[in-house]
Amino acid sequence: MLAVLVSLVSLGIVAQQCQAIVIYTGWERHALVGSDIRLSCSFFSWRWTSEDVTFSWTYRPDGSRDSISIFHYTGGEAYLDNKGPFKDRLEFVGNPGRRDGSILIKNLEFTDNGTFTCDAKNPPDIVGRPSSVRLLVFEKVPIQAGVITGAIIGVVLGLLVLIVVIYYLMRFLVARRVFSLNVSKHGKKKKEGSQQRQLWTPPPLTCYPLP
Amino acid sequence: MLFLIGIFILHISAIVLLLVATIDNAWWVTDTMRTDIWARWDQINGVWNYTDLPTGSDYPQDYLQAVQATSVLACIFSIIAALVFLAQLFTLPKGHRFTIAGAFQLLACLFIMIAASIYTNRFHVNEKQGNYGHSYILAWIAFGLTFFSSITYFVLRKKSA
Repeated sequence: MLAVLVSLVSLGIVAQQCQAIVIYTGWERHALVGSDIRLSCSFFSWRWTSEDVTFSWTYRPDGSRDSISIFHYTGGEAYLDNKGPFKDRLEFVGNPGRRDGSILIKNLEFTDNGTFTCDAKNPPDIVGRPSSVRLLVFEKVPIQAGVITGAIIGVVLGLLVLIVVIYYLMRFLVARRVFSLNVSKHGKKKKEGSQQRQLWTPPPLTCYPLP
Repeated sequence: MLFLIGIFILHISAIVLLLVATIDNAWWVTDTMRTDIWARWDQINGVWNYTDLPTGSDYPQDYLQAVQATSVLACIFSIIAALVFLAQLFTLPKGHRFTIAGAFQLLACLFIMIAASIYTNRFHVNEKQGNYGHSYILAWIAFGLTFFSSITYFVLRKKSA
């Protein structure tokens, strides 16, 4: 029984060590033309972060089938694009020790629309799928579907609930105040009555027969 | 008793008209296109295809979403008014008026009026083809019905339990 348990646990540990590295980026990013955008990339790995961790970003413009490599981090050094479409516009803002390989693209143009792929490797954990984020550059950020609708409905219903709650709260508080006032009034009357009885003793009752 | 049933039927029919106006896709129709406040149906080669409403100056997105929100709120408030009316029927002391139910119904009337007015003013202003569909007409009829319904709730007094 114990042997079965031990073998199961060890199988579990071995299976975990055999899992691949998992890379996380966003799914889609919207930005205004002329602004800066931070593309985040991080990974999950069962191994400790090694000193030979590498990050690389590639860019594929919309409608094109070729990718171009624009960023590479290896051996503690970050290498930015100095010939391609992002020359002098890239900046490395990540923290490889914290498994963050994010880059910052400055001064966006309409030609930057496309798919950015991040690939991270954490030796010896190198088997994994690169993750892609799609960048959309707008002149004016469009209103997302249903935001205003939801906001109006939410605010009106929220006001309704608030008014009902306040109404019942007021009623409850007023009733409690009236109740506590009544109780204190009765309490004072009782105290005065007992003191008077101690100071004044009633005269003995003599009964006369009724006519 | 009959009067009460009549008023309740009026309220229910107002709710039904509001729901049809909000849900059914016939605010603006042409021969090959039907549209409402949510999406659009185009008839291509005899088959109806579902597409999104076009974005642009013809369909200002923020006003469209305001129309959507206010028509949905009108339905919600009308249904709440019906439930409140049923509750007040059993809990209201004799001689009192159904003010809360009337207030909710009046709010529903206000919201559907806002929705239909924005739609009339901002959409299909320069369109050459087509005409308003039955959902649009029902929205205005529902406005009238909810108005009359709320007036009766403000005037009516509870006779007996």
